[in-house]
Amino acid sequence: MAEMMESPATHLASKVWKQFLRSARWYPFLLANVVVFAIWNLVPWVSMIEVSFSKWDMLTPREWVGIDNFAGMAQDGLLRIALCNTFLYALMYVPTVMLVSFLVALFVNRPVPGMKAFRALYFLPNVTSVVVLSIVYWRLLAPRADSPLNYLLGLVGIAPQRYFLSTSQALPSVAGVAVWSSFGYLMVLWLAGLQGIPQELYDAALVDGASGLKLHLHVTLPMLRPTAAFILITSTISALQIFESIFVLTGGGPVNATLTVVYHIYRQAFIFGRLGYASAVSILFFAIILAIALIQGKHLRFGEGIY
Amino acid sequence: MKDERSVKRGVSRYAAPKYLATEPVRRRVLGAALNIVAYVVMIGVAASTIGPFVIMLSVALTERVSTITFPMKIIPDPFSLANFILLLNSTMALRWLFNSAYVATIATLGGVITSTMAGYAFARGEFVGKILLFSLFLGILIMPNEALIVPQFVVLSRLGLVNTYTALIGPWFASIFGTFFMRQQYLSIPRDYDDAAIIDGANLWQIYAIVLLPQLKPAIVTLGILRFMGNWNAFLYPMIVTSRAHLRTLPVGLGTVARAGGDAGLDMAGAALGFIPTFLVFVIGQKYIIQGVSLSGVKG
Repeated sequence: MAEMMESPATHLASKVWKQFLRSARWYPFLLANVVVFAIWNLVPWVSMIEVSFSKWDMLTPREWVGIDNFAGMAQDGLLRIALCNTFLYALMYVPTVMLVSFLVALFVNRPVPGMKAFRALYFLPNVTSVVVLSIVYWRLLAPRADSPLNYLLGLVGIAPQRYFLSTSQALPSVAGVAVWSSFGYLMVLWLAGLQGIPQELYDAALVDGASGLKLHLHVTLPMLRPTAAFILITSTISALQIFESIFVLTGGGPVNATLTVVYHIYRQAFIFGRLGYASAVSILFFAIILAIALIQGKHLRFGEGIY
Repeated sequence: MKDERSVKRGVSRYAAPKYLATEPVRRRVLGAALNIVAYVVMIGVAASTIGPFVIMLSVALTERVSTITFPMKIIPDPFSLANFILLLNSTMALRWLFNSAYVATIATLGGVITSTMAGYAFARGEFVGKILLFSLFLGILIMPNEALIVPQFVVLSRLGLVNTYTALIGPWFASIFGTFFMRQQYLSIPRDYDDAAIIDGANLWQIYAIVLLPQLKPAIVTLGILRFMGNWNAFLYPMIVTSRAHLRTLPVGLGTVARAGGDAGLDMAGAALGFIPTFLVFVIGQKYIIQGVSLSGVKG
C-alpha cells in the first residue's frame, strides 16, 4: 500500500528530474547573457528604485526621504526646462531627418550608376563617433564672420550667425548637426523599405494605367507605412536620449538653452552628487520613453522578422 | 533590386495595352532629366557630407592653425604632423587609443561569441524558463540605456568595479540585440542538420560549433562589425565608469578635453585620430554594415 502511495510521487520527481536534465544542457549557452543581464540591468533596476527614495551623495550615509525626490521634481524649474528642450529638440529633429532621409533615399534608389557609392558616403558620419563630429562642427559653426558656415552664408547675403552661443539658435544648431550626421542611417532603412515592395504591385498599378507620381502615391507611400512607423518611433526615442553632442557642443548652455533630460540627470548625479534625485528623474524619463514606445508600439512592425 | 527600370521591364514582359505605347518615350525623356537632377542633388549632399571630414584632415595636417576660416586651402600648406605630435605629447591620446582598441576587441569577441551561444539556445533549445528569459531580454531591448546610468554606476562602485577594464567591457560581453539577431540566423538553417548530427552522435556543443556556426559566417561578421563600431563610439557609459584619465576610451578622452580652449589644429588632430579607425573599419566592412543595418534597423 505504502509503495503504491509513493509511486506517483517518485514518478513525478523523476519526471521533473528528467526535464531538468534536458533543460540543464541548454543553460551553459545562456550563462554569460544571464550574468551580464543581472549585473547591468536587473540589479541596477532594483537599486534605482531603492536609491530614488533616499538622499545620497555616496560620501555620507544614505538617508531615507520617502517620496521627497519625486515631489521635488514638481518644484524643479531646471527639470521643466530640460523636458521642454528635449521635446522641442525631438520636434525639430525627427520630422526634418525623416523628410531629408526619405528624399535622399528616393534619389539614390534610382537605377543610375554611382548610387551605391553615394549611399556609402552618406552613411559615413554614422560610423563616426558623435564626439568627433561635434568637435569638428563646433569649429565649422563658430560665431566668427569668417567661420566656414558663416562665410558660405555670407556668399548668399546672410549675416553671420552665433549658433551654439545664441540662446535661440543653440538647440536648432544641435538638431541640424544631428540631422546631418544621421540621415544616411535612416536612408538605409527607407531603402530597405522601398526595395521590399513587391514588384507585382507596381506591375498591377501600371497595367491599371497608373504612372509616375500616381504610382508612388498609391503604391510606394502606403507600402512604406511600417517602415515610416519604425523610423518615427526609433528616431523619436533616440532624440529624447540626446546627450553626447550636448556635452561636447554646448554643455547645456547658453543659459540652459540646451539643457536636456539626460544631461540634467548626468549633472544632478555626477556633478552635484544628488544620486537619489537623479534616480527619481531617471524613473520619470524611463516612464516617458515607455509611454511613447507603448503608444507607437502597435505600429512597430519592425522586428516581426527578427524577434 | 527593384527600380524604375525593372518596372518598365515588367511591363514589357506582359503585352502592354496600346494606350501605353507612347509612355516609354515620354518616360525616357523624363527619366533622363530626373537622373541629371538626381546627380546634381546627390553630389551636393555628398559634398556636405564629406566636406567636414576633408576640412578636419586638412587642418589637422597643416602647421599651427588657431581657427578655421574660409576661404581655406584644402591641401595642407605647410604640411606638418606637428598637431598630432603635440596631441600625443599634451594628452593621453595614445593611451586612450590603446584602451579603445583593447576594450572594443575583447567586447566584440565576447559579445559575438555569447550571442551565437544564446541565439542557438533560443532557436533550438527546449528548456524551463525559455519564455520568461526571452520576454525579459525583449524588455531590456526597449529600455533606454541612458535611464540606467545612475544605478549602474552605483552598482559598479559597490562592487568596486569603477575605473576598471571589467566595467568598460562587462556590459558588452553579452548582447540582447546580438542574441535575437543570431537566433533569427539559426532559424534559417533547416533542423535536418541538427538531426543528422544527433544521429551521428554529436552533442549540443558539437552541433553548435561544428555544424551550425560555420554556416553563419556572414551574419557573424556583420554582427561583429556592428558591435565593434557601437563599442568604439560609446560615450556616456564609459565616461561614467571611468574617472581616471588613463582608463578613458578615445571618444571619452577627446570629449572631455574638447573645447578646452586649444587651437583648431590640435582639436582637428584629435578628431582625426578618433575618425581614422572607424573609417578604416567602414571601408573594409562597408557592405556588411549597410546590409546589417537594413536587415536589423540597428547600427551597433
